[in-house]
Amino acid sequence: MDQGTLTSQRTATIAAPAWLRATAILWFIATVIVLLIGFRQALFTAPPDGELGDVQRIFYYHLPFAVLGMVFPYVNLVASLAFLYLRNRNPLKALTADALALASAQVSVLYVTLMLLTGMLYARPVWGIWWTWDARLTTAFILWLLYVSYLLTRKLAAPDQIAPLSAVLAVFAAVDIPIVYMSIRWWRTQHPAPIFGGAEGSGLAPSIWPPTLWNVAGWLMWGIFILCFRFAVERRNQIADQEHALQAIEASLHDHQG
Amino acid sequence: MPQQTSKSSLKIVVAAVIILATIGWLTFTGVRDNKSYYVTISELNAMGNKAYVRHLRVAGNVAPGSIKRSGTTATFELLEQGKKLQVSYQGTEPPPDTFKDDAQALAVGTYGKDGVFHATQLQAKCASKYAPAAPGATPGMSAKPTTTATALPSTR
Repeated sequence: MDQGTLTSQRTATIAAPAWLRATAILWFIATVIVLLIGFRQALFTAPPDGELGDVQRIFYYHLPFAVLGMVFPYVNLVASLAFLYLRNRNPLKALTADALALASAQVSVLYVTLMLLTGMLYARPVWGIWWTWDARLTTAFILWLLYVSYLLTRKLAAPDQIAPLSAVLAVFAAVDIPIVYMSIRWWRTQHPAPIFGGAEGSGLAPSIWPPTLWNVAGWLMWGIFILCFRFAVERRNQIADQEHALQAIEASLHDHQG
Repeated sequence: MPQQTSKSSLKIVVAAVIILATIGWLTFTGVRDNKSYYVTISELNAMGNKAYVRHLRVAGNVAPGSIKRSGTTATFELLEQGKKLQVSYQGTEPPPDTFKDDAQALAVGTYGKDGVFHATQLQAKCASKYAPAAPGATPGMSAKPTTTATALPSTR
């Protein structure tokens, strides 16, 4: 068996199997349909809010982004802890965990960014200000900074240091997630008190629920789609890197034989 | 080599404990004085002379019918649990649309010796409740406004 056939066999494993491609396409189509239903309900069929009027419709986007912006960082935490645990026990599995950590951090930054932007668009007409340094907004901004710095660390660290350094950083970054969540319970804020499980008089009217849930479901599906996509890309990069390393070793072996 | 790794992991554990303890302490003390973002009218009255020298946010409900607008300035009264505060707003832009009778509002500025709060900024505060307008009711008028005091987290 010569070197050429070895390489072609290995590269064949990189390509996604047909069933995975089919699932991805079906998932994407389902996501778009759910998002379109959510869009129609949020902007057209839901009644305008009694207090705020039509501008309240931003809520149907701000809430899913905020909820998911506080869910995907936990995926990053779990993947990072898995990496740290597997690092010396099962390096190949640890590499997979690291790919998931990167993908979830990218999705986290995306959703936290969208949360902050829709929040500012909502705040301007409703509160009269774009931004204020209350506990909720400040901790949310810190959350954004933490995951941006996570991605920057991955860009700037030395190649063999990227995974362990970023995994440790991820564990510390995750401390902020529950603080963001609890901020409107612990402190007086400009941001409204909790709507779900909040004090008496808070909550959603029955007609507000369907557009809220459709959009949470749609953006969750969209988030999972990008997460898997970014994960696959990172796995492909890792396998390509391993391939390069293997080829270098094989080449040096050939040199010795010849 | 294994000794070295256990040494470095001990260092990491110590560093982690120090950082987590610091964050925990900051959070705890932050939770303890949770009134830093705004004060209520009764807290403003209880501050004594300190109330006049600090830049403050005061929260309350806009007293119905008390708003007198003229361009970018407005005067109105804030109500909170039977306490009243006269506010004179002189800002660079008109108050937001959500600033109206019975709405929860934050006035940002300084408390004058004349008993009037001189605000340079107004921020509306929203209830954590979404519902379509009740049939027959005029939009923008809540039947029963929640007071700022009840919307507060419990005081520690």
